[in-house]
Parts: sequence; C-alpha cells; structure tokens
Amino acid sequence: MNQKLYPEQVKQLLNRSLGRLDQPTLARLRDVRVQALARYDARSAAPVFAWAGNWHVAGSHHKSYYGAIVVLLIALLFSGTAYWHQATDHDVSDVDIAILTDDLPIEMYVD
Amino acid sequence: MMRILFSALAICITLLLQANLAVAAPFKSWAQLTPMQQEALQPLSTQWDSLSTKLQKNLLNATKRYPKLTPEQKQRFQNRLEKWSKLTPEQRKRAREKFSAFSKVPTEHREQVKQMVREQEASKAAASGVPPVKPAP
Repeated sequence: MNQKLYPEQVKQLLNRSLGRLDQPTLARLRDVRVQALARYDARSAAPVFAWAGNWHVAGSHHKSYYGAIVVLLIALLFSGTAYWHQATDHDVSDVDIAILTDDLPIEMYVD
Repeated sequence: MMRILFSALAICITLLLQANLAVAAPFKSWAQLTPMQQEALQPLSTQWDSLSTKLQKNLLNATKRYPKLTPEQKQRFQNRLEKWSKLTPEQRKRAREKFSAFSKVPTEHREQVKQMVREQEASKAAASGVPPVKPAP
C-alpha cells in the first residue's frame, strides 16, 4: 500500500479505472469537465477583457494621481507661504514689544 | 499610495485654511477687543479704529505677552504706544532693524550705552523736574 506511485503509474491506474466506469457516470464526468473548463476559460479571459475595456480608466487613474501630486505641491507652497507670513508677523510683534518695553527710549531706535 | 497622497493633501488644505484665516482675520473694533487687550492698549482707545490693520495686528500680537510683563514694563509699554503708533511703517521697520542690530552688540558694550543714555535722561529729567524712567529689572 505504501508503494510509491509515479505519475505514469497513476495515469495507467486512472485509465484502467475509467475503463471500468459505466456510461452514465462517464457522461456525468464529461459534463462536469466541460462545465469546469467553461468556468476556467471565463475566469482567465476576464482580466484581459477588463484591462482591454478599462485601459482609459487606468489612464485616468494615472491622471488623477499626477493631478493630486500637483494639487498637493500647490497646497504645500501656499500653506508654507501663509505660515511664513504668520511666523514673520509674530517675530515682528516680539521685536515691537521688546522695543516698547526696553530700557532705552524709542528715540534711540527712531531716525 | 493614493490614500496617503489624499490624506497629505487634506492635511495641507486644512493647514492652509487655518493659516489663511489667521493671516486674513478681520480686525476688531475697539469694542470687540478683550478686556486684557483694552487694558494693554488703553492709550490708543480713541484712535484704535483708525490705525492701519497691519499695526493693529502687530499690536494685538504684542499684547499676548502683556500679562507676563512686570508693572514697570507695562507702564513703559503704555507710555510708548502712542508715539509708536504715530511712526510711519518705514520708521517702525528701521527701528526694528536697529533694535535687532543693537541686540547683537556684546552685553558689556550694550550696558555702557544704556548707562550713558540713563545718565543723559537723568540730567534732562533733573533739568525739567520730571523723574527719570527706571531701568527694567
């Protein structure tokens, strides 16, 4: 029972078993095989058709990707500028309060 | 990848909106200022609404540090506000530049200059009978 079977032996065994099967069983097996092949063909063909039919979708996907990068860069630029202005305003206010509270009178710094 | 990109985009747009709101915030009339802001900017109460928005914004930013000032600094701040507000934007800019440059002078030299100015102020005050302003602690 534990004898090792090679693919060729398995094939022979299956063929011998097949010879012993009755006609109705063989017919059912044939139907099942045809159905399975039909399902396999539909599945393997689907990605090709999906790609063929949706190549423009893939293109628009790339377009939206680049569009998002451009918008992101613009948003970064604007937010950076706005924050730079805000930070500058705070620096100016810090200097203002330092001048207004300094030991030396304002006249020292005014032309 | 797209999800990360759109998240980053959403964060940037939020920051942008916040920054723009802060930069372009409409300025308040005197009546709309908080009691603390009104206290700090009291000498400008009558002219506040006529000040330029830039000056208003700078002064409002400056008042954020007002509560932490010593009573003497508060006094000085208020005494100088009117004069400061009457300067032209260019004069204020030059004053800031000079102040920043003077801040970089070595402390020893700075103290010497301050001492000289104090002596001058004291002699002027003695001549006019007005007590001199005390130095900051």
